[in-house]
Amino acid sequence: MLLKLIKFAAVCVAFIAGVSHAAAHGERAQEPYLRTRTVQFYDVHFSKTDVKVNERFELTGKFRLMQDWPDAVTPPDIVFLSSISPGPTIARVETYLNGEPARQSFAGLELGRDYEFRMVLEGRTPGSSHIHPSISIKGSGPLVGPGQWVNISGEAHSFAFPIKTMTGLQIEDLQTFGLAHAVGWHLAWLAVAAAWLSFWLARPLILPRWLVLQKGREDLLISLRDTGAGIIVAAIVLVMVFGGYVRASAEYPYNVPLQSGLNRVAPLPASPAYVEIKVISATYDVPGRSMRLATQITNKGSEPLSIGELTTANIRFLNQSLPVAMADVDPSYPRDLIARTGLKLSSDTPINPGETKEVRVEATDAVWELERLVSFLTDVDSKFGGLLLLYAPNGERVIAEMGGPIVPVFTELK
Amino acid sequence: MNPSGEGRVTSTADIDAAASPRENTRFKDKKDETVISVSGLTPSAARYSRLFDVLVVAAVVTIFAGAIHLHVMLTVGDWDMYVDWKDRQYWPLVMPVSMIMFPAALQAIFWVNFRLPIGATVGATVLLIATWIGRYANWWIWTGFPFTEGVPSQALAGALLMDMTLIVLRNSLFTSIIGGFAFGFVFWPSNYSALAPFYLPVEHQGMVASLADMIGYTFPRSNMPEYLRIIERGTLRTFGSSVSWVSAAFAGFICIFMHQLWWRLGLFASQATFLKNSDVVKSFMGIKSSVAS
Repeated sequence: MLLKLIKFAAVCVAFIAGVSHAAAHGERAQEPYLRTRTVQFYDVHFSKTDVKVNERFELTGKFRLMQDWPDAVTPPDIVFLSSISPGPTIARVETYLNGEPARQSFAGLELGRDYEFRMVLEGRTPGSSHIHPSISIKGSGPLVGPGQWVNISGEAHSFAFPIKTMTGLQIEDLQTFGLAHAVGWHLAWLAVAAAWLSFWLARPLILPRWLVLQKGREDLLISLRDTGAGIIVAAIVLVMVFGGYVRASAEYPYNVPLQSGLNRVAPLPASPAYVEIKVISATYDVPGRSMRLATQITNKGSEPLSIGELTTANIRFLNQSLPVAMADVDPSYPRDLIARTGLKLSSDTPINPGETKEVRVEATDAVWELERLVSFLTDVDSKFGGLLLLYAPNGERVIAEMGGPIVPVFTELK
Repeated sequence: MNPSGEGRVTSTADIDAAASPRENTRFKDKKDETVISVSGLTPSAARYSRLFDVLVVAAVVTIFAGAIHLHVMLTVGDWDMYVDWKDRQYWPLVMPVSMIMFPAALQAIFWVNFRLPIGATVGATVLLIATWIGRYANWWIWTGFPFTEGVPSQALAGALLMDMTLIVLRNSLFTSIIGGFAFGFVFWPSNYSALAPFYLPVEHQGMVASLADMIGYTFPRSNMPEYLRIIERGTLRTFGSSVSWVSAAFAGFICIFMHQLWWRLGLFASQATFLKNSDVVKSFMGIKSSVAS
């Protein structure tokens, strides 16, 4: 028997010891249509990936709200800019959307337009945290941008978040302010409750009282002294309730209610140069892990344009033969979201102004599988979406939305 | 026994008349000895009944701490969970309406069966203890949220008043009307005393925010966007800044009915009812059916 118990305990210990912390947030579990056809993040930049506790860093970038917004997702009528982290391992200091303060939600964002965000964050909990920008959409939930590992060093207890109130009160740490006051009140209430309960628990309790009550002798169980004690406790409670309220009101006369509301912000100015992309056909080679697109691209700008990148669901397929596209990759961008094999094109020659050109685009990489994106083939509308980034000789970048139905191809590997 | 729990002490002289002190029952008070005596328990049985008391208290504390905590988390979770959900309109309304349920049921069970005016206090006490354990274990140890973000509400003030109303009036209906109303009404002022510092104003990014807002913003809950908070939506603005007292009064009004409903549910749930086994069920238990036998 003892041996069995020891074995059982050993199994329990081994199980508990083997449990590791959650490293990420299940972003790959989000359905592909959510990640490829709603919010496309680009130009995401982490100012630092190694910070100390209490050290600030910035997370900046832009996103496009896709014109071909899926029916299954609530339109972005009310959105909130946020960061996603494994718990509050970081503190959020300031957030901006197109330069406007983003502490509250925004209404009326426009599909097909771009927005720029900036978040000032601060290291809080030591360790390695996977940090994402995210756009939460009322009715649909958070849509996450590319996640980067941020290493936070230092001691957790050294974190403090000082803040000054409008009444001039300097608070040393927002994590602990007011806590002792609240706990003190709770303990006071528990003390009164404990006194009242002890008053009754010290007496014969369950069986004797039940038996006496069965015999019709209620008069033995509740006396006038008990009633008097009840009246006294009631008086104490009322004094505590209303005395405490009056005192709190006097001590904090300039309190404000919780703040909530919607802000509005205009999108970024539309680019004067633009292209139109028509997807003639789109296939996904399942065993080959390759998306193949036949496109018809019309350059409606005044400069010749070269295809530099296809980005969707935060994964970047780069035209590795175009230096300007390669130079556009931020060093802080998560490397696991950059496809190693890049983007293959049927033609590398630029698309001249006014020209309409048919280009076959091939994005092949195991990252489709790793990011669990191939399940878009089982979506109810089997469509894909993404952004095509094109570059002019002067370095100007044009971002064009593309998308449409996609057909799976189950060819065998040879 | 009067099922609705009404009744009054007629005379304390009966206590003395019934007193027949027994030895070694661990109760030194004369009235307590009288209760033991009238109950008919032998000294040995009385000692075991005290052990039974301990077991019942332990069971009540653990079972109802979990049950009430679960109930409150499921019905009004975020309002109690986060300091930046404790608004002045809906929080004083939804919290007591939910919190009164189990305390009212416990009050009925304890009063009608044992004439103990402690049910509501027991419910609110175990709820507060369980809530703080949850805050410490789940929110601090497990996920690292600061305690300030998860300061809970307490319903002890209202629960105590409800029990006091019961012992003074000894009537479930009047306890609903006065005690139930008090439970809902005092929720706001009794919690404001503890939470007032969290409503101090700060300027953040050119906008006014309360410290509670700032706590929620600074320590991100990744899937808790700002738009989810339900802050003062409705048409109570007529009362200016006194919206909380309107909510408190309305909460008290609703709690009158909630108390009576859950008092009756408590009585119903505490009934010991026996159903006659069918022959099939008996056969499952190895008992021969009446027909076969």
